[in-house]
Amino acid sequence: MAEINKESKHVKHVEPYSPQSGTMIPLGTQKFLRTCVLWQLIRFVAINIKMTILIVKSHR
Amino acid sequence: MARLVILGAGVAGHTAASFAAKWLSETEDEVVVVTPNALWNWIPSNIWVGVGEMGKEEVTFDLAPVYEKAGAIYKQAKAVSINPEGSADTNKSFVTIEFTGQDKEGESENIEYDYLINATGPKLNFDATPGLGDGNGHLGEHTVSVCTADHAIHASHVLDETIEQMRKGERKKFLIGTGHGMCTCQGAAFEYIFNIEHKLKEEGVRDMADMTWISNESFLGDFGMGGLHFNMGGFVTSSKVFAESLYAERGMDWIIGAHVNKVEAGKVTYETLDGEIDEQEFDFAMLIPPFAGVGLKAYNKAGEDITDTVFAPNGFMKVDADYTVKPYEEWLPSDWPRTLQNPTYKNMFAVGIAFAPPHPISKPMKSPNGTPIIPTPPRTGMPSAMMGKAVVSSIVDMMKGKATEPTHTSSMAEMGAACVASAGKGLFSGTAAAMTVFPIVPDFKKYPGTGRDINGTTGEIGLAAHWVKHLLHHAFIWKAKLKPGWTLIPE
Repeated sequence: MAEINKESKHVKHVEPYSPQSGTMIPLGTQKFLRTCVLWQLIRFVAINIKMTILIVKSHR
Repeated sequence: MARLVILGAGVAGHTAASFAAKWLSETEDEVVVVTPNALWNWIPSNIWVGVGEMGKEEVTFDLAPVYEKAGAIYKQAKAVSINPEGSADTNKSFVTIEFTGQDKEGESENIEYDYLINATGPKLNFDATPGLGDGNGHLGEHTVSVCTADHAIHASHVLDETIEQMRKGERKKFLIGTGHGMCTCQGAAFEYIFNIEHKLKEEGVRDMADMTWISNESFLGDFGMGGLHFNMGGFVTSSKVFAESLYAERGMDWIIGAHVNKVEAGKVTYETLDGEIDEQEFDFAMLIPPFAGVGLKAYNKAGEDITDTVFAPNGFMKVDADYTVKPYEEWLPSDWPRTLQNPTYKNMFAVGIAFAPPHPISKPMKSPNGTPIIPTPPRTGMPSAMMGKAVVSSIVDMMKGKATEPTHTSSMAEMGAACVASAGKGLFSGTAAAMTVFPIVPDFKKYPGTGRDINGTTGEIGLAAHWVKHLLHHAFIWKAKLKPGWTLIPE
C-alpha cells in the first residue's frame, strides 16, 4: 500500500513492482487545483457544457 | 380509447410514464403504471445515504400524488405474467399483476393493454453467491448493500458502528466491490469505497483502515464498458490509468478479475481470471449482487408457457437486438437494439435494465476452470432515461395514429452517457469523477483504436464534479416530482 506523506501531501513511497507503482500519483499542484474554488468554477461550467453537448448528440 | 401499461417506475419507467401522461393528457387514452414500490428512489444518491450524509427522505418520495397530478393510473403491484395474445376469454393482450399495497395486498388483477413498456429494472440476485444472500432472495447477514434506500440506511448504521470501534483503537478491514463474476454497476461500488474513505478521513480514523477493492473487471476502470480512453494532459489515456491513480493516491489495494463464490462471516472466497482460489478477510463489506430479470412469465392464447420466446434465459426481455452468439471480434454496434421493440409482439417494448443486451461490452473472459468473469453491460441512469423517452415517443406517435412503426430510436451504440461518480461529499471538501463517453458501445470502425469519439469521451476529478453531482440530485428529483419546468431538465 502506498504510504502517504502527510507533510508534503503526496506519495512518499510506492513499493516497487506493486500494482500501485505502475500508475500516476498526483502531486501538490494537481491536488490543489482539484479543490481550488476559482478553478473549479471554470471546470463546473466546462463539465456542464460537455454534458449538454453529449445529451444533444445522444437524443434521436 | 387505448391503454399504455408501464411496468416499473424507476428512472426508465418513470420517465416514460411522465412523458406519456403529458403527451396523452388531451386524449382519452390511459397510462397505467404498475410498480411494487410506494416510493420513488433517486438511486445514485443512495451512496450518500450509505455513509450517513443523507437520509432516506432526501432520496425518496411518494409516487401516488405524483401520478395523480400527472393523470396516470398508479397501481402498487408487481407484474406476474404477460399474455401478449390474450387468453381463451379475451383477444386483448393483458398483464397479470399482484398488489403489494393500496390495501389490496395479495389481490390479483388482469390489466388489458394496447402497448406495454417493460421497465421493471432488475432482481437483485443476492442468492447467486452463497452467503451474499439469505437464501430467500434478500441481502444476507454478512455484508451490506446500497442498492436500495433501506439497504443504504442499514449500511450507514453498520459503518457508524465500525467507525466507533476504530475510535477505540481497533484496526478494520474494508472490502468493497462486486459479489459475483457477472455483476454490473461497478460504478456504485466505486463511489461507495471512495465515500467511505472520505468519511474515515473526516472522522480521523483513516489510518486504522485497510481498504480493498474487489471486482470482476479484468482491469480497473473497465466499468463494464471495456474501459474508455480520453484526452488527459495531451495524451490519449486509458481509464485504467485514471482509476488506478485514484486508488493508489488513497492507499487502497485492489483485486481484479475476481468472481466471489462464497461469503462467510468476515471472509470471502474468490476465484480470479488466472484460476487461483483465494480468500479475503473483512470487517465491513459491501458487495454488489448480480442482476437478473424479475421473473416475469409469458403465456400464449392457449395458456402455454412462452417465456422463452419473450425473455432471454437471464430473464430480461428480448428486443430488436441481434442475439446471434458470436465471438468478441465479430461484435458490431448494430447488434444493439434501436427501437427496443419485442420482435414477436410488436406492442411490447423493454427499456433500461429490463431489456436483454445482445452480449457484454467488455471482452468476455473465463478462468482456466471455466468460470466466466465478465462485467455485464451498464444500462442504468442516463441511458435508461433516454430509452424511456424514446420508446414512449414512438408509442405515443402510434397511439395517435401518426405512425405504425416506432418513430424514435435509442441505441447504446449511438448514444453517449455522462457519469458523475462521487468520491466524497462536502460543499468545498467533496470531489467526484465526471466522465462522459460517446458512444457507450464502442464503434471501432467509426473510431479506430479506442472505439470512441475522443472529443466526446472525457474524465476529470474535482470539486466541480461534486457540485454537478449535487446539482443532478436536486434537478432529477425536481424533474421526477413533475414540478414546474420539469420537461426543461434533459434526460
